[in-house]
Amino acid sequence: MIRTEGLTRRFGSRVAVDGLDLHVPRGEVFGFLGPNGAGKTTTIRMLAALIAPSAGSATVAGQRLGKANREIRRRVGVLTETPGLYRRLSARDNLLFFARLYPVREPERQVERYLRLFELWDRKDEPAGSFSKGMRQKLAIARALLHEPEILFLDEPTAGLDPEAAKTVRELIATLRSKERTIFLCTHNLDEADRLCDRIGLFRTRMLAVGEPAALKEEMYGRRTVVHLASPSPGIELALHLPFVTKVERLEDRLVVTLPDPDAQNPALVRRLVELGAEVRFVNELRVSLEDLYLDLMEGRDAKA
Amino acid sequence: MRRLRVLLLKEWRESLRNKMVLFGVTLLPLFFVGISVYMLALGAGIGDPAGAIVLFNTSLMYFLILPTIIPLAIAVYSIVGEKEQTTLEPLLATPISDLELFLGKALASVIPAVLVNWLSFGLFLAATRIVVGAVPLQALTVPWLASIFGLSPLLALFSVGVTMLVSSRASDARAAYQFSSFAILPGLIPLIVYSSRQTLVDLRLVILEGGVLIVASAVVLHLAIRVFRREQILTRWK
Repeated sequence: MIRTEGLTRRFGSRVAVDGLDLHVPRGEVFGFLGPNGAGKTTTIRMLAALIAPSAGSATVAGQRLGKANREIRRRVGVLTETPGLYRRLSARDNLLFFARLYPVREPERQVERYLRLFELWDRKDEPAGSFSKGMRQKLAIARALLHEPEILFLDEPTAGLDPEAAKTVRELIATLRSKERTIFLCTHNLDEADRLCDRIGLFRTRMLAVGEPAALKEEMYGRRTVVHLASPSPGIELALHLPFVTKVERLEDRLVVTLPDPDAQNPALVRRLVELGAEVRFVNELRVSLEDLYLDLMEGRDAKA
Repeated sequence: MRRLRVLLLKEWRESLRNKMVLFGVTLLPLFFVGISVYMLALGAGIGDPAGAIVLFNTSLMYFLILPTIIPLAIAVYSIVGEKEQTTLEPLLATPISDLELFLGKALASVIPAVLVNWLSFGLFLAATRIVVGAVPLQALTVPWLASIFGLSPLLALFSVGVTMLVSSRASDARAAYQFSSFAILPGLIPLIVYSSRQTLVDLRLVILEGGVLIVASAVVLHLAIRVFRREQILTRWK
């Protein structure tokens, strides 16, 4: 659905996006994560055929970027960083304008459908300028969806929304995924990315890592078992000679053991510890958050170290 | 063509909800018509037919200034307004072409400006007939009619071109309005020429100004089209 090869964008001497290679298949929710100024918006603008790349190539919705830009714009929906609504026009007129530009078959019905979906129907005739931030965001998302795009680029879709509205948006994203829509999601909400995205890409001018959130965490940190000991058992970590144990750390009365396959190896680990005289209170797996992964990658830290 | 029509209707719908634009499009022409008719009424009281014709000619010149002023308000708010509301990017993300966007913005200002000018001229003639008693038809010559009906679209076009260029660089409507104001200069040229010659307008002068305006508008619109490219709008506009 989206495929890029060496996609690059320069602004004068500054490189905003550097040789992006990416493949996002149909129906995937892809989280594009990175700090402000990382080049995320520039990437979206290139993929939505709004600005041209300086080098590299891309295919979006089966259309070659640079050769079928208008067709690409017809097939994708973009939610920009700011809602960008005509403040003097009513919610309905805002949507009708865009519905007619695409064009949408039966624009009036489609507009009504999305206004009702986002619970804005009762205020359809009020100017968008009178809406709260959350309502404006909902209206902007409705606008991006009006023409039923194959690919949806969402730049911070839940920013500024109250928890209830944010939940509506997340549920909508889940619904769209079930309908085989491809979603390219830029967000700073890492918990949201962890929950919603099939895969994530951590990006700062160039792609630092791509993969499923759980797989990336495992790749970066390995799987770690925490053994809680009833007594300090000094030096026990030094005596723990097991071939599958990659690394052992002691944190007061806990041992953090890195293992390739904890599901299979935890029983042997516990057995060995008991043999060494340790009193094991309980065992659990150390969960690493996406935030830890993000911060380590962005700060260039080697997580395994 | 369909997208152009959709954009034009949106522009006009927005303009109708903007008090500043409405003021520029309605009150200003009414003010010019009012002041012209008032002067003619004063002149009629003096009883000097030659003086009445000079006054009538002077009044007609307002209808060469109006088509440069009216589109200023519409074009400034149509472009700077999009910037202020950050609506340009969602608009550019649609399949609308750069040319459709440019034409939509330009025609949204030119068409009402020309129509309002012609309507004001009609209103002026009707008000003169009612208030003064008669329109001095001998002063309403072919060159004057050619000026009002032929030059006003060109004057509006030039004004819009300048305003679009200035607005692409301005971040607020007030600044754009101030810098675009020099676009009314071409409308003042016949005023200065006719006043200095103290004579009736002749057709050669109208054709000459028409020619100059066509060239000037072509240059300004060419520059404006170059500015109105997606890439430029998203990466260069302030």
